[in-house]
Amino acid sequence: MSANILAAILDKEARLGAVDSLLLALIGIVIVFIVLIALMLVVTLQGKIFDGSAKLKQKHPEWAEKAAAIKSKFSIRKKEELAEEAAPEELASGTCGELVLVGTSERDAAMIMAIVADNTNTPLNQLRFKSIKRVEDENL
Amino acid sequence: MNIGEILKNLWNGSGFHLFGGDNGWQSIVMIIVALFFLYLGIKKKFEPLLLVGIAFGMLLTNLPGSDMYHSEWWTTTDIDYLEILRHGGLLDILYIGVKTGVYPCLIFMGVGAMTDFGPMLSRPSSLILGAAAQGGIYLVLILAAATGMFTGGEAASISIIAGADGPTAIFLTKTLAPQLLAPIAVAAYSYMALIPLLQPPFMKLLTTKKERMAVMTSTRPVSKKEKIIFPILVTILVSLLLPSVAPLLGSLMFGNLLKECGVTERLSDTAQNALMNIVTLFLGISVGATAVGSVFLTTKTLLIIVLGLAGFVLATICGLLIGKLLYVISKGKINPLIGSAGVSAVPMAARVSNTVGLQYNKGNYLLMHAMGPNVAGVIGSAVAAGFLLAVFA
Repeated sequence: MSANILAAILDKEARLGAVDSLLLALIGIVIVFIVLIALMLVVTLQGKIFDGSAKLKQKHPEWAEKAAAIKSKFSIRKKEELAEEAAPEELASGTCGELVLVGTSERDAAMIMAIVADNTNTPLNQLRFKSIKRVEDENL
Repeated sequence: MNIGEILKNLWNGSGFHLFGGDNGWQSIVMIIVALFFLYLGIKKKFEPLLLVGIAFGMLLTNLPGSDMYHSEWWTTTDIDYLEILRHGGLLDILYIGVKTGVYPCLIFMGVGAMTDFGPMLSRPSSLILGAAAQGGIYLVLILAAATGMFTGGEAASISIIAGADGPTAIFLTKTLAPQLLAPIAVAAYSYMALIPLLQPPFMKLLTTKKERMAVMTSTRPVSKKEKIIFPILVTILVSLLLPSVAPLLGSLMFGNLLKECGVTERLSDTAQNALMNIVTLFLGISVGATAVGSVFLTTKTLLIIVLGLAGFVLATICGLLIGKLLYVISKGKINPLIGSAGVSAVPMAARVSNTVGLQYNKGNYLLMHAMGPNVAGVIGSAVAAGFLLAVFA
């Protein structure tokens, strides 16, 4: 690249010639693609790491339990939280046990319970849900 | 007391008398243009949130004698902000936010807080479509240079109209060609409003019926952690590669982090609503203020309008062509219509892909798939602007 071309490209007050604009456009689009392809690779890698970690957790549930145990052992918690854990709150009247959610948000669980109650024509207080687990579809 | 003298002075100081001055006819034409834009914004609902503000700013700045905005203060290389704060009009004071690049960044913060990058994270190939549509920017750069009427900075500022991203266009133009800010901002926002009319003919022309009917299956679910990590990663990676884009992209990603982290709901809500609305008010009216008749009514403005239109069309075509390529590579799993959503007008371009897809295959909802290239286009146009800033600024 000659010094003349470089000077014209870098000076915003100078007129942009045809050759300079072609060169600039070429470099520009290559840079956009490089940056976005780099991002694509990072995003893909991040996805693979998270998917792999989720699969490992499914394959070896004992690892997750161990990790949770270690986490709770070393986590810094307030005295109030520890006291609450030691003496769990009594269940509200009308409830029947606890519901275990696996890979499901509380919002989704509430919707699922409402749908089941509606489809079976059974009031919610007569139904008991033990757990709701998200099942990964291989085809997705 | 001479009543005749008082009335004469009153008349001489009035805007009606000043219309008879040197640039009077230009002011009248600009007032008519402002009224037309107000009609488009209010009656036709063309980007009303911005166009109404821009049009009213245009009206105020062209009322002779109001002294609300002084274009000559902003074209010098060494702007005296103290003098502006002491003696400036209302629009001069508001314009400081444009000139310093604060408004576009704050708008981007709000956009980030409203954006869900999930569709893009679940289909990373969307980023290729977002990059492809930026081809329009560089093709317009070549066209603008070919006219021989524009300097490098002006050509770069005009080219960014094709990015279909108002804040990015303003951010680049206020640095490289502040004298063209009004026509470029008006062109960018007007064409964004016209996307539902501009894109479909080219989408139908460049794709076959079979391609348009292609059904896209749902992609992997994206975890909350991924959504939190993404804005941090992008900020670090892209800002290190192109530091000039850090203010824009950093604001976009900060807004998105506020939304995704789940512990700053109040801040996210403010960025999306209150802050966004306030800045939109200031940005619209102060950008409109730069449309002073003597500066706006030139052949350059006409050329900018034409080049801007060409830019939107070329960006759409670039996105569609790469969409077709991905359709072939993926053996029909990617509908090429989502390629046109790579122009970053969020979410209009994605909605257009969805609408055209539904016309040919009822039940084929492409909206979520098109949102991927759409938000990738925002990043792409910011990167393109960062490159042009790095070259010219």
